[in-house]
Amino acid sequence: MHLTVIPERCSGCKVCELACSVGRENANNPKKSRMRVMVLYPHPVIRMPIVCKQCGVPKCGEGCPTNAIYKENGVVRLDQEKCISCNQCLTSCPFGAMFLHEDIEHPFKCDLCDGDPLCVQACPKEALKFHPKHILGQAHRLSAARSYAKMSKVEYMDDGQKKTLRYAKITKGGKDER
Amino acid sequence: MSVKGGYFFRILEVDLTRGTSEVRSFDEEFALQFIGGRGFGARILADHLKGRKKRIDPLGPENILVIAPGPLTGVYLPASGKNSFITISPATGIYGDSSIGGVFGVELRQAGYDAVVLKGRAPLLSALSIQDDRVKIIPMPHAAGATALEGEQMVREATGDEDMKIACIGPAGENAVVYACVNTDWSRNAGRIGIGAVMGSKNLKAVAVRGSKDLPVHDLPELIKVSREGYDFLRSQELFKFWQDQGLMSVVDYANKMGILPTHNFKETVYDRADRMNGYMMEDRYKIADSACFGCSMSCGNVCLVKEGKYRGTVTEGPEYESAAMLGSNLGTSNFSYILKANALCDELGVDTISTGSIIGSVIEGQERGFLTPEDLDGVEIGWGDEDAILDLINRIAVRDGVGDTLAGGALAIISRWPEMASVVNHVKGLEQSAYDARAAISMALGFGTSDIGAHHTRAWTVATELENGTGWGLEEKADFVIYHQTVRPLFDMLGVCRLPWIELGFPEEYYQRYYRAVTGVDLSMAQLMERSRNVYDLTRAINVSLGMGRKDDYPPKRSFEDPVPSGPTAGKVIDREEYEKILGIYYEKRGWDEDGKPSLEL
Repeated sequence: MHLTVIPERCSGCKVCELACSVGRENANNPKKSRMRVMVLYPHPVIRMPIVCKQCGVPKCGEGCPTNAIYKENGVVRLDQEKCISCNQCLTSCPFGAMFLHEDIEHPFKCDLCDGDPLCVQACPKEALKFHPKHILGQAHRLSAARSYAKMSKVEYMDDGQKKTLRYAKITKGGKDER
Repeated sequence: MSVKGGYFFRILEVDLTRGTSEVRSFDEEFALQFIGGRGFGARILADHLKGRKKRIDPLGPENILVIAPGPLTGVYLPASGKNSFITISPATGIYGDSSIGGVFGVELRQAGYDAVVLKGRAPLLSALSIQDDRVKIIPMPHAAGATALEGEQMVREATGDEDMKIACIGPAGENAVVYACVNTDWSRNAGRIGIGAVMGSKNLKAVAVRGSKDLPVHDLPELIKVSREGYDFLRSQELFKFWQDQGLMSVVDYANKMGILPTHNFKETVYDRADRMNGYMMEDRYKIADSACFGCSMSCGNVCLVKEGKYRGTVTEGPEYESAAMLGSNLGTSNFSYILKANALCDELGVDTISTGSIIGSVIEGQERGFLTPEDLDGVEIGWGDEDAILDLINRIAVRDGVGDTLAGGALAIISRWPEMASVVNHVKGLEQSAYDARAAISMALGFGTSDIGAHHTRAWTVATELENGTGWGLEEKADFVIYHQTVRPLFDMLGVCRLPWIELGFPEEYYQRYYRAVTGVDLSMAQLMERSRNVYDLTRAINVSLGMGRKDDYPPKRSFEDPVPSGPTAGKVIDREEYEKILGIYYEKRGWDEDGKPSLEL
């Protein structure tokens, strides 16, 4: 399973941060969330939720002096027994998805909530998705198929409204192709 | 009754003259009676004014500026991003407050403060930096003249923290334009009554804040339960997605359909080109992103970009309905690209879009009717829809250049200089009327007339209900309805939450009583909460009476009585003076005020 972020849909409401902090740290405190929504303006204009990507090669672990970071069942985890809170992982992560707070002893990060992420449930804009890995890239595949340039079209009337149907027309194999 | 959450019991008092600050505490009684937001602000302001012999100059060091979120600001519940600024207004000379969304108020609470009180005047243009317990005043003379956004960036650099939340004024605030705003989160503005001018008069360019504390919630499991119910309720409303898509821009079509859209300085109330500046036009050609205040699933904010033409590259979070109507149809143009440009310009300069649109509308009509000559306007002839002249005037207002100097003084300054303009300046108590015509709805006229800050619709937005359901109502019912709005709405500001889920999607009021109980541990009924809100309204009325307001000031703009609506669904409508006198008297009686509108409450 994979936690996917769609920044185009994010409104910057931070309900995800709230749901995470109350649900996982028992505190109403967005700074204790394992996700952070970056809102940038006016150059560029983007709202980007930042959260652990559960990397196959966790960079956060590479600099760890005590090998406290490991991967288990698709989730990158931090062993609190081994962690010495040197905070190296905060800067090792290329995305800044490792977090720190005065009240919390060790760095903390997203662990996908045991399979039903609270942030995904909370998001009112469907900007966060939790789905099987084989779905990734689907949006782009759909877009590529839909925008194939050499489609024919027919216009017709449907209930008083003009509509267009685009379709890829069958061609026979041979010299006349391409 | 003991308060077990919702407050830090810490108010930060900053003496800008001396460059010092201290934390003052307050007791549970204060929290229980005034709750937060404009409740705190009104009480602190009343205490400041009590017993003074001399009138305070709103732009002098004796004025104070209170910044107050509420006990629910930043809490996990729908639309918890609200914050209030409270002061004596330089536009009206009376009580003024401004409610603003975004994230700034949340950060202030996370820094551990329930309110900030700004006093005195800094010797140099400065920024106030609050990082949890560390409070600093940073001189920033190089920020003079910077736009609100440029100023924000300079403050980030000065504090060394890219993620600080910043409330910043533009040149309009520095130049004491009486309707100057404070800007946060790119395009959220504390507008209308001149908060920006008060900050400018204190030599305060910006307030920057960073906080990391837990917000005090008494019963977190209960809060989570009620919160999820609330978010689910909103998600299940039929118009939920429509609101995310269009937000308040959907009101353009609504107002036009009902015959209450300000057109040509409120001469007319319908606009034949409204469809070129409505929510669908915005979605179709300009909208690039959704924007939400803290904790809000309705995300009524829209980010718009002009992709072609003269104003290509203009990008802003907006417009709101008010800005679109007051800078668009009110000025005789439906060009949405220009509306975005004007909106962005007002944001950068830090000046209120509603007042600006209203004043320019008055200027155009004034010139049309010969009250103003081109000489009065520095040689400029300005007509309806004259985009270049309008944008130029906005620039000149912001720096008080030429005739901009008079216009920057607002409705009262204009009428003082050109008395004939009184018939075309639409204001109450010196605050320009916001974007709803009231001639067909006497309750709306009463709402404008008796609003505690001047002609602003958010105090009592009754026009829709009266026109749709209330034509059969008597004056008693209409007065009751105004008082109901004027009682419920402050409660939102006091709690620190946004009223849009309630007014637009029918979010039941009772939820707030449950949120308040979960957060504070205090079990008050809705009736008891409303009582506190009503007392705060009496208090702001008492403040205004002590500053000279009375019955003579409680009338809607002159146009409401003198000019019947010329066309459209509300054609022929005008407020009958005798009927208004009657409803005003009924209103005072229901409020328990005397015939001059004076409450028995003392400051």
